[in-house]
Amino acid sequence: MSAQIAPPVRTAAPAAGRRRRWARQGSLVIGGGIVLAVVLVAVFAPLLSPHDPYAQNLTARLIPPVWYPKGSWLHPLGTDNLGRDYLARTLYGARISLLIGGAVALLSGIIGTVLGVAAGYFGGRVDLVVTFLITVRLALPVVLVALAVVAVVGGSLPLVILVLGLLKWDRFVVVMRSAAQKVRTLDYVSAARATGASTPRVLWREVMPNVLPFLIVTATLEAASAILLEAALSFLGLGVQPPLPSWGLMISEAKPYMFFSFWMIAIPGTCLAILIFAVNLLGDGLRDAISPDGRNSP
Amino acid sequence: MRRLFGSLVLSLALAATPALADKASNTVRFAYDQAPESVDPLFNNVRIGVIIGAHVWDTLVYRDPNSGEYKGQLASAWRQIDDKTLEFDLRRGVKFHNGQDFTADDVVYTLNFAAKPENKVTTQANVSWIARAEKIDPYRVRIVTKEVFPAAVEYLAGPVVIHPHEYYEKVGPKGQNEKPVGSGPYRITSHVVGKSVTLERNPDYFRDSPKGQPAIGKIEIRFIPDGQTRMAEVMSNGLDFIMSVAKDQADQMGAVPFLQVVSGETMRIAFMQINRLPETPTAPLQDVRVRRAINHAIDRDTMVKQIVGTGSRVINTICFPAQFGCTDEGATRYPYDPAKAKALLAEAGFPNGFEVDIVAYRERQQTEAIINYLRAVGIKANLRFLQYAAMRELIKGNKVGLTHQTWGSFSVNDVSAGTPVWFGFIGEDVTRDPEVRDFLKTGDTSVDPTARKAAYKTALSLIAERAYAVPLYSLPTYYVASSDLVFKAYPDEMPRFWEMSWK
Repeated sequence: MSAQIAPPVRTAAPAAGRRRRWARQGSLVIGGGIVLAVVLVAVFAPLLSPHDPYAQNLTARLIPPVWYPKGSWLHPLGTDNLGRDYLARTLYGARISLLIGGAVALLSGIIGTVLGVAAGYFGGRVDLVVTFLITVRLALPVVLVALAVVAVVGGSLPLVILVLGLLKWDRFVVVMRSAAQKVRTLDYVSAARATGASTPRVLWREVMPNVLPFLIVTATLEAASAILLEAALSFLGLGVQPPLPSWGLMISEAKPYMFFSFWMIAIPGTCLAILIFAVNLLGDGLRDAISPDGRNSP
Repeated sequence: MRRLFGSLVLSLALAATPALADKASNTVRFAYDQAPESVDPLFNNVRIGVIIGAHVWDTLVYRDPNSGEYKGQLASAWRQIDDKTLEFDLRRGVKFHNGQDFTADDVVYTLNFAAKPENKVTTQANVSWIARAEKIDPYRVRIVTKEVFPAAVEYLAGPVVIHPHEYYEKVGPKGQNEKPVGSGPYRITSHVVGKSVTLERNPDYFRDSPKGQPAIGKIEIRFIPDGQTRMAEVMSNGLDFIMSVAKDQADQMGAVPFLQVVSGETMRIAFMQINRLPETPTAPLQDVRVRRAINHAIDRDTMVKQIVGTGSRVINTICFPAQFGCTDEGATRYPYDPAKAKALLAEAGFPNGFEVDIVAYRERQQTEAIINYLRAVGIKANLRFLQYAAMRELIKGNKVGLTHQTWGSFSVNDVSAGTPVWFGFIGEDVTRDPEVRDFLKTGDTSVDPTARKAAYKTALSLIAERAYAVPLYSLPTYYVASSDLVFKAYPDEMPRFWEMSWK
């Protein structure tokens, strides 16, 4: 497996190829680096943050960040409309985003992999059913369904994860299905079957390790999309509920202030953009690294 | 980033340079967030409809907002004939916008129409007291009430407007909404339903009206749901007048040179309902110590100063201080004391607090501040922010423990329009204490003002002592207008364009 992930070593690559490979590894390094940094920030938020992200101080509201004339180092990124420290909320906001991204990718990944591998490996009637399920799922607009469910049941963090997780498995199924179809016909699968291995054993020991790279790439891209969706839902007031510090919620709360306190919307917005950019970069880098011959495919 | 923002403000300011344009054309451009279902005041129950109605229609009586005194508007004089009969002398020489003369027929037709329940006037309480209206002669009418009803004149000065009888009979409420005809200081020259209403000065408005002769020639009202859009428009000089602006935004816009910000207290109070019924979803709220702890946990003084705004004041009982019968004398007070709140919670057996749902429908920032105060003493409140109608359903169905509620008492200056709505065993009463209900009932139905006051006082102090609710504060309203406009803010949230002028 490790041999598959490591980029193939070529001794005499042409200059253009070298540049391309550097760019490939570059996106992996930059994307991975940023994501790692955000993860560290999220994990160590209580140590890094100077204040409690929930502690309000109504007498210290709307203090601008330190680079404004009225800013102070006491609140490096200022305070929000309830006097809560903006840096603390931004740091803790990373936790929410990563939690949502990770949990949704995990949940939808499990659903998608089970369905996709089953469809791809067994084919026939199983494949028909799964293809039908994909069609049904693709006919449902994710945002609309999520809005409706949240509006009826009421927004909360577990609910948002559950709704997005149960809706975002379609790409996993498509990718896993075609990967499994390809793997199924390969010699080592036939060989395993010929030696009398049971179907679960074949699936677990032969098929899964060889479709795993595709799963990882899909999971990163889906995580980015889930983070964005959570921000959109929270912005609409139907995602996670206050006082949780979610970046989408922070943008929503800053909206009335955008004419005069632009930084309030810019800080969580920038963080969100950087994280999505990094996760996508990481996904691209992983894809190229895993399948060097597929780098030109879309 | 700051430079970019600076240039944004600069470009807005530059766009706004021709600020004299509307003073020159004598037009006030006004935007409001929602459109009225109908501009006919009998079929309206939202603020903007009340505002339009007061400009387009006249009432028999006018209540001077400065002195509170009743003055004749379409009536020149009135007298009480017996307990249930009022007689009105009508003003002569008043014309409706379509040229028709105003006579007793208009009063009789309008009141009898409104009094019939099958005509489905939107707020039945506004008209259900009318038994009938009778014509004595072309300029004299009598109004008979179903029961003794001392507040009749108050209602005749408010929502009960007079329509032109021939026109109203012909076109009905629907036609009156599309092509409205009244007798007021302004007439509607265009009504694009759901989008805009244009009012123009009525050149034939009668001389002796207590409203006076309007100075502003034209009022263009547009319905813009989004607050940021209204703000952007007023800053780029696309509007001259907006109201109900949040405090922070109003404070910020106060720094724009061509704008002025005016604020004032309104009759609307904010308070928290606490569901203590046996069916409550949050059992701890049944314990009076827990309810007192909640009262002690919230720093209302700081909230008023920092986020509610100028004109607001802290209240200690569930009524607006200027209302008849409202008092906080002798009522238990709960100063901000988080340590005491924690101690009370521990004493009640909840040293680590508990979870509770809180619903709210406006002033979300204030709800969030309350949630954070509760969090500080260990109570974890989950916000459910909803439309008013949806929120009412949840309260009625005992689905929530706490409600961040507000109430404007329909601008009626009497406790009967406020406190009993929440503690008189009506739909959304989530405390249901028969003792409180009985005292309120005595207050509502007694004739003697001293007896009424005493009964209300007892009811209000019982509510406070048993901590059935958290009294918060009165809400202010902020107006942002072109600095050339001269106007005054009133507690009834009614901009009176007929009084306004340019500097």
